[in-house]
Amino acid sequence: MQRRDLLKLLIGTAALQLTAAEPGAPLYFSKPEFAALDDLSEMIIPADEHSPGARDAQVAAYIDKTVAEAFLPEDKTSWRKGLSPFVPLNKAQRLTLLTELAAKNDPFFQRLKESTAYAYHTSKIGIHQDIQYLGNVIQIEFAGYDAT
Amino acid sequence: MLVQFLPSKPEVDLSITYDAVVVGSGAAGGMAAHVLTSKGLKVLLLEAGKYQDTSQILHSMEWPYDHPRRGNKPPDYHALTSNEYTFRNSPYAAKTPYNKVQSYVQGWSGTDYSKTLVVDEKENPYSGTRYAWVRSRVVGGKTNIWGRLALRLSDYDFKAKDRDGYGENWPISYSDIEPYYDKVDLYLGISGHKENLPYLPDSLFQKPNKLTYAELHLRETLQGMGRVLTPYRAGVTTEGLKHNKYRSRCYGRGACNRHVGGCDIHAAFDSPTGLIRPAYDTGNLTLRPNSTVFEVTVDKNTGKATGVSFLDSETRKSYQAKAKTVILAASTLESARLLLLSKIANSSGHVGHNFCEHMMGPSVAGYVKDLVGKPRTLDDGKPGSFYIARFQNLDGKKSDFLRGYGYEGSSGTTMTPTTAFSTPGFGEEYKRKVRDYAGAMIEIGAFGEVLARYENAVDLDPNLKDAWGIPVLRFSYKFGENEAKMAKDMAAAGREMFEAAKIEVVRASSEMLPEGWSIHELGTARMGNDPKTSVVNQFQQCHDVKNLLVVDGSTHVNASCQNPTWTIMALCWRSCDHLADQLQKGEV
Repeated sequence: MQRRDLLKLLIGTAALQLTAAEPGAPLYFSKPEFAALDDLSEMIIPADEHSPGARDAQVAAYIDKTVAEAFLPEDKTSWRKGLSPFVPLNKAQRLTLLTELAAKNDPFFQRLKESTAYAYHTSKIGIHQDIQYLGNVIQIEFAGYDAT
Repeated sequence: MLVQFLPSKPEVDLSITYDAVVVGSGAAGGMAAHVLTSKGLKVLLLEAGKYQDTSQILHSMEWPYDHPRRGNKPPDYHALTSNEYTFRNSPYAAKTPYNKVQSYVQGWSGTDYSKTLVVDEKENPYSGTRYAWVRSRVVGGKTNIWGRLALRLSDYDFKAKDRDGYGENWPISYSDIEPYYDKVDLYLGISGHKENLPYLPDSLFQKPNKLTYAELHLRETLQGMGRVLTPYRAGVTTEGLKHNKYRSRCYGRGACNRHVGGCDIHAAFDSPTGLIRPAYDTGNLTLRPNSTVFEVTVDKNTGKATGVSFLDSETRKSYQAKAKTVILAASTLESARLLLLSKIANSSGHVGHNFCEHMMGPSVAGYVKDLVGKPRTLDDGKPGSFYIARFQNLDGKKSDFLRGYGYEGSSGTTMTPTTAFSTPGFGEEYKRKVRDYAGAMIEIGAFGEVLARYENAVDLDPNLKDAWGIPVLRFSYKFGENEAKMAKDMAAAGREMFEAAKIEVVRASSEMLPEGWSIHELGTARMGNDPKTSVVNQFQQCHDVKNLLVVDGSTHVNASCQNPTWTIMALCWRSCDHLADQLQKGEV
């Protein structure tokens, strides 16, 4: 083994240990950014009597992973830029700002809402608990009505 | 060159003269291989792409949350958008930062499963006017991912010129092709409901899929208007096929609309399991994937085709294959490209011309009030939802445009509801509305005939070449006035039908999508009786080179408004029957 390879291996191990030391640490966002994203996603799709919301469906973690893997640098930085005004605010202030952005159909609001909706409605909670989707099963007879 | 289902096959023998060499392995090429091998003829089937086992890669039942990217393609892949086709110049993948660029179909969901089935635009550029060209270079071609609506044409299409004076008639009538539609139905399986419509003939149907409540209600309303909503006529076997061990019947399992298409149990027809594997089992088929054909070779003395020249798509090494007949089935545009590259069969000057297809875009969406907030029903997993047959310019009064259109539609609850993206606002009320309206939505999108016009054409770009050094196509193709008028009517008539059924319309758009969107390109080597105005005869033999056949959609005289795959296969069966007969009599 080359020395360089050994070094890579060691760095790899170190990185693994770091991840292990901080379970659930965001992959791209800072902790305050991630907390703001988590709050905003739950404001868009909150828990209600019917089903859990975006927080329980780990919407922020899915968005964080997607942004971390994004191929174009601007797809990362635009998220950071969009979130930045929310980071220093408290919950009530965040809701006020989100309402303002929604009212003027702000592009960041659109993106946040679309990403939240997608992440939620492709999650176990979204598909099975909220929508209570009945498909993706073997049907001996198709469900529905005959054309007569 | 071995493929997985040919375990004991040695390297392809190119020293012998095959009865036929078939170029392309999709609906047309697979059918040519099936018909000719079943008659004992020796066939070499060449496919530019690899063999890929869709049983293993489509994962039709995988839940999005069980996939690391919820089924989406890798981050360094990019799918072209309608804006990119519209506002950028072709070749669209030039100057892109992404590692792989694919056509717009890879912008849908579940695209990680289809990422190897659709070509990389960087390797396969083209130039000219706006065109969204979807290509699949893989054994089976686009049949691996097709939408599977399987319709027949009628004499309203074959003899359309007699009805409205436009264009040319086909050199055949419905009665010529009817027995072959029957053969295709029985051999491949088709699901549907009999309607007895002269302009949309019934197939020999297996069990139809069922309708949702909203669809049944719309069907009943349309009956009162003299229009027909019928369960999707799907190229899907719902009762199984005793003669084909490679295909299962449909069990309505996968969320079939989630992915780009395809079926991992092959209930939906695909060429590899429906045609090629059975052809292989006759012992008469030799399949060579990774074979990019770039020329049809011709004997200068006799003027007959002698075979083809091709490159190994991976090693780029050049080979020749010899055959008594050459059958082009590379797709409408690729077969035209091959004729142009070979500079043959074009004494008419019509190769690449009369290019036509279906126009898409106009659509209507709404919801059924009675269904809002109702308990969930199982609406997904069927072979398809519904089809509304053509009703304009039939026997009654004529509209201000020529020809017709039909609608494909769907309704009910999907895994990821469209209401999640269309419902305004956010918060508790938004969340509840998404859920309550998810099962109440119904949507239709039109497919209309684009008139075949000589000036709509492709030719070879004098400069641009693909990754294999082969000159590429240059498009000179645009929708015209007739399509624009038709688009307006599609949206207006759709709204009218929804309103008659008391469906609350939330969107009615007459905007046309870019040319090419329907993936139904047709007509670049049309058939006819007159060698001066057509490229092939009624048996798809080139007027100029009798042992050269073109058996794909390029031979269609007009696009009609019905999806072309079933007609491509029926015509190909008919032509190959005729060819086998001629070969046996030594007449080719």
